[in-house]
Formats: sequence, structure tokens, C-alpha cells
Amino acid sequence: MPSLTKQERDVRKRKAARRQTLISYILLLPYLALMVMFAVFPVLYAFGLSFFDTFENVFWGLTNYREALNDYRLVPAIWNVTQYVLVWVSMMVIGVTLLALLLDTLSERPAAIVRSIYFMPGAIASSAVVVLWLFLLDPLVSPFSFVFEAVGWDNRQSTISGLGEVWIFALMGFLGNSGGWIVVLGGALSGLSRDIIEAARIDGANPWQMATRIKIPMISKTITLMAIMTLAVGMQIFVEPQLMSLAGGQFDKPDWSVTQLAYFYAFRFGDFGVAAAISTLSLVLPLIIAFTLIFATRFYKID
Amino acid sequence: MNTLLPKNKLRLSSFVIWSILAFFIVIYGLPLLWLFIAGTRSESSLISDPPLALGTFAVMKETFVNLAGYNNFQMLTWAMNSVIYTVGSVTLTLVSCIPAGYALAMSEFKGRKLILIMTLVAMITPSQAIILPIFLEMSLLGLTNTYMGLILASSFFPFGVYLSYIYYTTSLPKSVVESARIDGCGHFQCFVHMALPLAKPLLALVAFFSFVNNWNNYFLAFVLISDDDKQNLPVGLTTLINSSGALNPQAAANNLPIGQPEAIQAAILVVLPIILVFLVSQKYVRSGLNAGAEKG
Repeated sequence: MPSLTKQERDVRKRKAARRQTLISYILLLPYLALMVMFAVFPVLYAFGLSFFDTFENVFWGLTNYREALNDYRLVPAIWNVTQYVLVWVSMMVIGVTLLALLLDTLSERPAAIVRSIYFMPGAIASSAVVVLWLFLLDPLVSPFSFVFEAVGWDNRQSTISGLGEVWIFALMGFLGNSGGWIVVLGGALSGLSRDIIEAARIDGANPWQMATRIKIPMISKTITLMAIMTLAVGMQIFVEPQLMSLAGGQFDKPDWSVTQLAYFYAFRFGDFGVAAAISTLSLVLPLIIAFTLIFATRFYKID
Repeated sequence: MNTLLPKNKLRLSSFVIWSILAFFIVIYGLPLLWLFIAGTRSESSLISDPPLALGTFAVMKETFVNLAGYNNFQMLTWAMNSVIYTVGSVTLTLVSCIPAGYALAMSEFKGRKLILIMTLVAMITPSQAIILPIFLEMSLLGLTNTYMGLILASSFFPFGVYLSYIYYTTSLPKSVVESARIDGCGHFQCFVHMALPLAKPLLALVAFFSFVNNWNNYFLAFVLISDDDKQNLPVGLTTLINSSGALNPQAAANNLPIGQPEAIQAAILVVLPIILVFLVSQKYVRSGLNAGAEKG
């Protein structure tokens, strides 16, 4: 058998590599097509559109941005969302960490059962959450009515204004999302080195010291990730305030959040330009968060 | 004497732990429990009986008949639409995610890193942030208010690709694939004959998350679909309540037999499939949640 020259081998290698690249792209093709269509193109298109008068189709520079930033509803909406995100993220960090640590002290079976119960409300999402909560907030029918009666709230109006939208939406978010993160933190806790835990116990650490000095510092990265992801999701709040009007016009909050404002411009005014400008602005922070998580931390595996 | 003190302390601490956990069991469990019980009760029972009083089968049936008859069996149309949207999107998600994750995990090629980074960016960015841009694009293409438009738009699922990528990098050693390749197995054949048969747990995992997302899809469907008869269940639920004033009985100015019990049963219809799937697939979900959140 004649041995191949170096050149011939190189040619073969390159051919094989090219073939592999081709097949990889064939396998990736459906996904890439969807990515272009529903991530890359919409973002670029909205960005482009934000510089146009979309009624006359003429370029008018930053006019849409000026209009959006001068809208009297924008500052209150940003303030609403900021408060909501602060309350929700704090609830998640404190509540999820506490519950995950408590569950970590139980033996496996009871912990698994309790964890499943905490996880269940995550099954209720979208419009059903708001419908359920509008019942929960109505002292006439709510299983929590004894609490509302104790503080003197006797109808839905007084419960909602008593708690305030910020707290209501934060509670909705907590109930629906904490269960999943309790599972995640539980996974992180059970992955901790048993040697370290055992060593601390032998050294006489009590459960409180064990939690605050050993376990929390060791899972702090996962807690940070949860806080960041909650923040990113929270900033986009739309469905909860949008659907409060299901209980009647007096609860209508069409411009409570920033995302609602963008929706308002697109659907009530048909002004796609301003809607695109608000959407573009609302994408800046999530994108900064995403790039920071990917390049400045080691949360995600890229190689 | 010495052993007595820590023992008491231990009992006290486990009492405190269990009290806190039990308090939260009530907080997490009560809303769902109430919802399912409330579906069996009449309007007057909801208001005057204790919150967790059971209704009767007859009342439940009557409520269901009222709900089913609403607007010429429109609930059925919405449920069918939900099934069409969900089956379509889950299928397309699987077809696009599994091969993509395999290709990213198993081979080196130009552009691989860029695709991985874009996948992560799209995964971390909340999907709500891009719904209006998608709507603007779909208006341009004339795909709003179509089944195809909503199915395609909900099939882009970067989390599924990331899960597949992690799955193949950890469960299918590169050396195995390489030795198969030396034995004459092409890249594509390797995928079909080795990677796909290995992928059963992965398929279940991606299908689960995609199912939950799609069945619960409210915002995107609300924005893209304007025709009542093309809505899915979550949007339909709000149409039902808005048109009947079911949650605002004092102000409801119509004689539709849709009140609070009907609204509750409609909400149960939206939630029930997800709960069932949750119960069946808890194990898978845990591993998926951990894969999605943990550092590499």
C-alpha cells in the first residue's frame, strides 16, 4: 500500500473537516432558522423601526425616543417596576434561601415531599395565575379571608389597595417561581462536600452557624444567579398588571409597567415606531445582564 | 446530665424548622387546594360557606354544562387550539433543539462558539422582552393571526438547545463518537444511530419544558392572535371573564350563565394538564432545573 504524501493527507484532513462543518450546519439548520427569525431579525427590525415615523415611513432620527422619554407615564411606570423588582428579588433571596436551608436539614424523603408541594404552584402560570389571585384577594371567597378580616379589609378593593400592586405582583411571582429555585438551591446544597459539613459539625458548629458560615457562603453563587434572573424577568412584567382589569374597570392598570406602555403604543395608537423605541430600550439591560453572566462569570458552560 | 441539654435543643430546633416549613406548606398548598375544591361549588356556596367547604357533584356538573355551552362551545375550540399550538410547537422544538445540541457538543466547526453564545444570550434574556419586536416583524410578514405564525414563534427554544448541548457533552463521551467515526460511521450516521437512541431522557426533558411554556403561553398568543376563534385557552379564559363579568358580579350587565364557579372551572381547565404533567415528571424536571442553573 503506497503511503500518502503529507500534502495528500492534509487535503484529506481538510476535506473531512469541511464535510463535518457542513453536516454540523445541516443539523443546526432548523434551529438557526428559528433563531434568525425570532431573535436576531426582530431585534434588528425593532431597532431600525425605532428611527422611523411608522405612519409616513420616513426616517426621523431620535423622535420616537424623545416621544417615549417625554411620556408622562414613563417615570411612574419605571418606578412601579423598580419597586416591584426590589420587593420580589428580596422575597426570593430571603424566602428561597431560608426554605432551601431548612429542607436541607431534613432527611431525604420528607424533604422531597415538602419540596414537591412548594413546586406545585409553579404549574399555574399566565392568565390563570391572575384569575386565581383575584379570587384569593377577594375576602368574600378567599381561603385567606381570616387574615383580611383581621386587618379589616372586607372587599377586593380594600385588599388590593391595602396590599398595593407592588406587593401583590411580588407575592404572585414568589408563589409561582420560588418552588423551582428551591429545587435548584437544594441541588446546590446536596452537592456540597460532605467532608466540610462533617468537619464543621465535629468542630461544634450549631445548625445556625452551619447555615450562615458554611452553607450560605458556599451556595452564594447560585443565590446570586437566582437574584439576577429574577431581576431580568421582573423588569418585563406585563401579564399581571394587564389582567387586573378582569375584576372590573376600577382595577384597570393599562400603563403600570414599561412593557405595557410599549404595548399601549403599538395597539391603542398603532404607533409602532414609539413601541419599537421602548422595546429597544427595555432590551438594553437584559442584554447587559446576559453578556455579564456569560463572560464575567462561570455560570454557564460554553466549552 | 450532659447529654440532656443538646437533645432538648435539638428537639426545639426541629420543632422550629417544622413550624416554618408547615406554615409555608399552607401558603403554597392552600391556593391550589382551594381552586380545585371551589370548582365543585355554587356561587352562593362560594360566598356563604367556609372557604374549603366541598360542593356537590350536581353543582359541578351544572357549572360544567354552563361553561361548555358558553358562546356555542367556544371553550372546546380554545382547548383544541391549545392542543394544536402546543403539539406543533413542542414537535418543532424537539426537531430543532436535539440535533442542534448534538452538533454543538460533538464537533468543532467555524461559528460554533458564536452560536453557543447567542443561544445563551437568547436563553437568559426573558422572552417577554422580545414579544413586541416579534409582533412588529410578524405584521411586516403578514403572519399575525395565523396558527403557523404562533407555532413558529413559540418553537424557538434556546434553553432546549442548551439542555441538549449539556446532555450530550456529559453523557456521550467524545472518544466513543470518535472511535465510531474511525470505524466508518459518518457524522450524520453517528447522530441517527448513537445520539438519538441515547436521547430518550433528553427528549422527555426538553418536551416537558416546552410543553409547560406553550400550554401556558399567554402574552405571545395575546399579541399575535386577534381572532377569538384562534385563541388558546389562557387567552380564552380572559375573553370568557371579560365578556361575562364573571369576576365582577355586581357590575355584570348580561344574562350569561357564566359566574365565579364557571370562571374557576375554566381556570382549572387551563391548569390541570400542567399539574398532571408536573406530577408525572418531577424527577426529570429537577435534573433539568439544575442543569439550567448551575455553573459548568
